[in-house]
Amino acid sequence: MERIGGKSRVKERTILLIILLGILLVGAGLWAGSNVNFMPTAASTRAREVDQLARVMFGIATVVFLLVEGALIYAVIRFRRRGDQDGEGAAYRGNNMLELVWTAIPAVVVVFLGIYAYKVLAAIEKPADDELVVEVVARQFIWEFRYPEYGKTSLELHLPVDRPVRFEITSADVIHSFWIPEFRAKRDATPGQIAELRVTPTRLGTYPIRCAELCGAGHAAMTSQVIVESAADFQAWVSGAPRPAAQATPGEPALEVDGKSVFQTYGCGACHALADAGTTGVVGPALDELPGVAGSRVEGMDAELYVRQSIVDPNAFIVPGFPADVMPEIYRETIPPEALEALVQYLLGK
Amino acid sequence: MEATAETSAGRGNWRRYLRWSTDHKVIGIQYLVTTFIFFLLGGLLAMLVRAELLQPGMDVLDGVQYNRVMTNHGSVMIFLWVIPVLAGFGNYLVPLMIGARDMAFPRLNALSYWIFLAGGLLMMGSFFVGAADAGWTAYVPLSILAPDGETVWAVAVILLGASSTMGGINFLTTVLTMRTEGMTIWRLPLFVWGMMATSLLVVLSTPVLTAGLFLVALDRLLGTVFFDAAMQGDPILFQNIFWFYSHPAVYIMILPAMGIISEVFPVFSRKPIFGYKMIALSSMAISVLGLTVWAHHMFTSGMDPRLRVPYMVTSMVIAVPTGVKIFSWLATIWDGRIRFSTPMLFALGFISMFLIGGITGIFLAAIPFDIHVHDTYFIVAHLHFVLFGGSVFGIYAGLYYWFPKITGRMFDEKLGKVHFLMTFVGTNLSYLPMFLVGILGMPRRVADYAPEFTQLNQLATLGAIILAFSTLPFLYNAIVSWAKGAQAEANPWRALTLEWSTSSPPPEHNFPTPPVVRGGPYDYGEKPAEALPAAAPASD
Repeated sequence: MERIGGKSRVKERTILLIILLGILLVGAGLWAGSNVNFMPTAASTRAREVDQLARVMFGIATVVFLLVEGALIYAVIRFRRRGDQDGEGAAYRGNNMLELVWTAIPAVVVVFLGIYAYKVLAAIEKPADDELVVEVVARQFIWEFRYPEYGKTSLELHLPVDRPVRFEITSADVIHSFWIPEFRAKRDATPGQIAELRVTPTRLGTYPIRCAELCGAGHAAMTSQVIVESAADFQAWVSGAPRPAAQATPGEPALEVDGKSVFQTYGCGACHALADAGTTGVVGPALDELPGVAGSRVEGMDAELYVRQSIVDPNAFIVPGFPADVMPEIYRETIPPEALEALVQYLLGK
Repeated sequence: MEATAETSAGRGNWRRYLRWSTDHKVIGIQYLVTTFIFFLLGGLLAMLVRAELLQPGMDVLDGVQYNRVMTNHGSVMIFLWVIPVLAGFGNYLVPLMIGARDMAFPRLNALSYWIFLAGGLLMMGSFFVGAADAGWTAYVPLSILAPDGETVWAVAVILLGASSTMGGINFLTTVLTMRTEGMTIWRLPLFVWGMMATSLLVVLSTPVLTAGLFLVALDRLLGTVFFDAAMQGDPILFQNIFWFYSHPAVYIMILPAMGIISEVFPVFSRKPIFGYKMIALSSMAISVLGLTVWAHHMFTSGMDPRLRVPYMVTSMVIAVPTGVKIFSWLATIWDGRIRFSTPMLFALGFISMFLIGGITGIFLAAIPFDIHVHDTYFIVAHLHFVLFGGSVFGIYAGLYYWFPKITGRMFDEKLGKVHFLMTFVGTNLSYLPMFLVGILGMPRRVADYAPEFTQLNQLATLGAIILAFSTLPFLYNAIVSWAKGAQAEANPWRALTLEWSTSSPPPEHNFPTPPVVRGGPYDYGEKPAEALPAAAPASD
C-alpha cells in the first residue's frame, strides 16, 4: 500500500536503512568481540590462541544474534494483527536473490571460521624442542603424574613456567578426561591408549585439574591441582624425595609422613566425611566414629588390621547401608607402605 | 457429523486407548499421552539433579544415586519423550496430511507402540534393580563395569530402537505409496517432509546403535571382549558406534519439530511459507549431512587426530541449511497478519532459542574451542537450547495447534499464554547460566562442584523450578479442555492442509471420500481466500 507511491524513493530509503543497520550490527559485533570476555584466566600460550578464536566467534555470533532476534522482535511488533483486522498477508512465496544471499553469506562465514580454527589447532598442537614429558595416569578417582626425566611420581602436578610440556595420558580403568580449564587443555584418558596433549604454561599460580568424563561415583571429586612455578622452584621440588604428601616444602629435611596429608592427597574426603580433615563426602561411611568401632566390627580383628584391610581390600567388609563395589580397589598399589601406616594411625585418631 | 465426532471421542470409548488398536489416530494419541507422562517423570529426575546442584557438597543424593538419576533423566527425555512424541505426531498426522486412510502397515504401527511401551516400562523398572549409571552415552568400559541395571537399560534401549526403526520404515512407505490423488511430492506439507527426513535417519542409523548396545550386553553377560582394551578390544569403537546414531538422533529430534513450526507460521501469519522448496530440501540436506558429523563428539577422545578436521568442516557446513530455515521462517512472518495464539507463541519462542543453540553449535564445531568446553556445562546448555528451546517448544506448538483436531475441543488461550510465558522464562533462566559456568570450568555430570560456581547453579535451579511449575497450567488446560472445552470446528485456524478438511476429531478412516488435492498446502495470502475449505473466521 505505502509501496505504490514513490517506489524508487522508498527503495532508496530501504537500501540506506539496510546499510545503516549493517554498520550498526558490525559495530556491535566488533565491540562485543573486543570487550566481552567470558573465559577464565589464561595461563598458557594455547589459552591465548583459543581465546582469540573465541573472541572472533563471539563477535560474529553477536551480529547474527542481534540480526535474527532483532528481525524477529521487529516483525512481531510491526506485523501483528491489529484489532479485528481479518485480512490476509502478502502472498509472496520466495525471492531467489534473497535466498541466494542468506545461503551464501553464512557459507562464506563458516568457511572462514573453519580455516581460522584449523590454523589455531595446528598452532596449539605444534611439537616444540625441549619438551618436558609428564605421564598422566588416571584411575578412579585420582590423577597420578610421572616425570620420567626425573624418576619422580606425584599426585599433584608441578610445572616450570614457560617450558613446553607434553602430557602422555592414559587410564588404568575407565575413560577419564584430563582438563585444566586455565590452560584450555583437555584430553581423554583411555585405557590401552597413550594420548598426547601439548601445553606451555605462561603464568605462575595454582590452577584446578578436573575430570571431564563421567567415570563413576566419585567423578566430581576427581580433582587435583597444577602448580606453575619458576624453573628453580620446579627443580627444587622435582629433586626432593618422592613422597605422597605434597604439602612438604622443598628444601626442608624429610618430614614424618603425615596421615592427614595422605588422607587429603588420595582424595579420601571425596567419599568419606571426617571432621578433622573438614570433609563431608557421603558416598562411603563417615569416619569420625571409626576409632571407637573399628576394633569391634569383625570378630577377632583388631582396629588397625580392620582399617588397613578396609583400605586395601574395600569389599572385605561392607558397612551395613552402603553398597559394595564402589570404593576402588587400587590403594593396595597406589599408597606406599609408610603412608598407609600413617593413614591408618590418623584414622584411628592416634 | 457432530454425532459421529461425539461417539468416536465419546466417554464410552476411552478404553480403546488402553487396548491394541491399528487405527493410526488411536496409536498417535497413545504415543502423545504416554510420552508426556514420561516427560513428567524425566522432569522429576531433572528436579532431583537441580536440587543436588543447588549448593556445593553432596546433600540430596550420593554419587551413585546422582549418576543413576542423571543417566535416566537423559535417557528418558531422549528415548521416551522427544523421539517418540514426534513419532506420535507423525502417527496422528501423516496419513491425514497426505489424504490416506491409515498408515501403510497398521499392525506394524501398533506393534511399534507396544514395543515402545515395553521398553519404557523396562527402563523405569530398572530403578528397582539399581538403575543404569554410566550416562545416556553409556561409554565403555564404565558401562561394562556398571551394576545389573545397565543391562536392563541396554535391553530397554534396544527395544526402543527396534520400535523406532519400525516406525521409520512405516512412515517412509506411507508417504511414498499412500498419497491421495493430486498430492504430489512438492505439495507435501513441511511436517511430512520433516518426518521423511527423520525417518530416513532413523532407518539408516538406529540399527547401528542397537547393534552396538547388543555388543555391550554380550560383553556384560557373556564375557566377550569387543570393547576391552586389555584384550585388544577397542573402547573408542563404541564411541563411533554410539555417535553414528546419537548425533543424527539430534536431527531426528529437531526436524519434525521444525516441520511443526513450518505449519504454524503460515497459518498464523496468513501468508504462504517463504521458500517452500528450500525448507523441504534443507531438511533432506540436514538429514544427509547429519550422517557425516558424528565424530565432533570425539574431538578430545582417543580418535586419530588427523580425522578431526573433516568432521569440523561438515559440522560447520550443516549450519548453512539450518540458517536457511531460520531466515525463511522470518520471511514468512514478515508482512504477515500475525495472530499471537498459543501455538504461534511457542513457534516464535522456538526461533528465538533454537538460534542460541545453533550459534553455540558452530562454536562447538571449532575444535580448539570445543577442546576447552567439551564435556562441560557449556554442552549441557547448548543441547538444552536445541532440545528444549527448540524441540520441546516445537512439540508444545504442535500440541496446541492440533489440540482442536485431535480432541474436537478448543483449549483455553489464557492458560496457554501463561504456560508459554513460564516456559520461556524458565528455559532461559535455567540454561543461559550453564553456558557461563561451563566456560569457567564446571564439568558436566558432576554431583558436586567448586564453591565459585554456586550462584550460577542457583540461577539454573530457579529456572528449573519455574519450568517444573510451567507444566501445571498446561496439564490443567489439556485435561479440562479435553473434557469440557468448547466444541472445535473442523478448521478453527482456517488452515489449508488436508487434516483440517475433515471433522474434528476425524472419523474412522479419516475422510468420507478420498480427497483430491488441487493446490499447495500454503496458498494463503491476499488472493486465494475463496479457496479456503470450510472457511470460517476464527475467534480467540
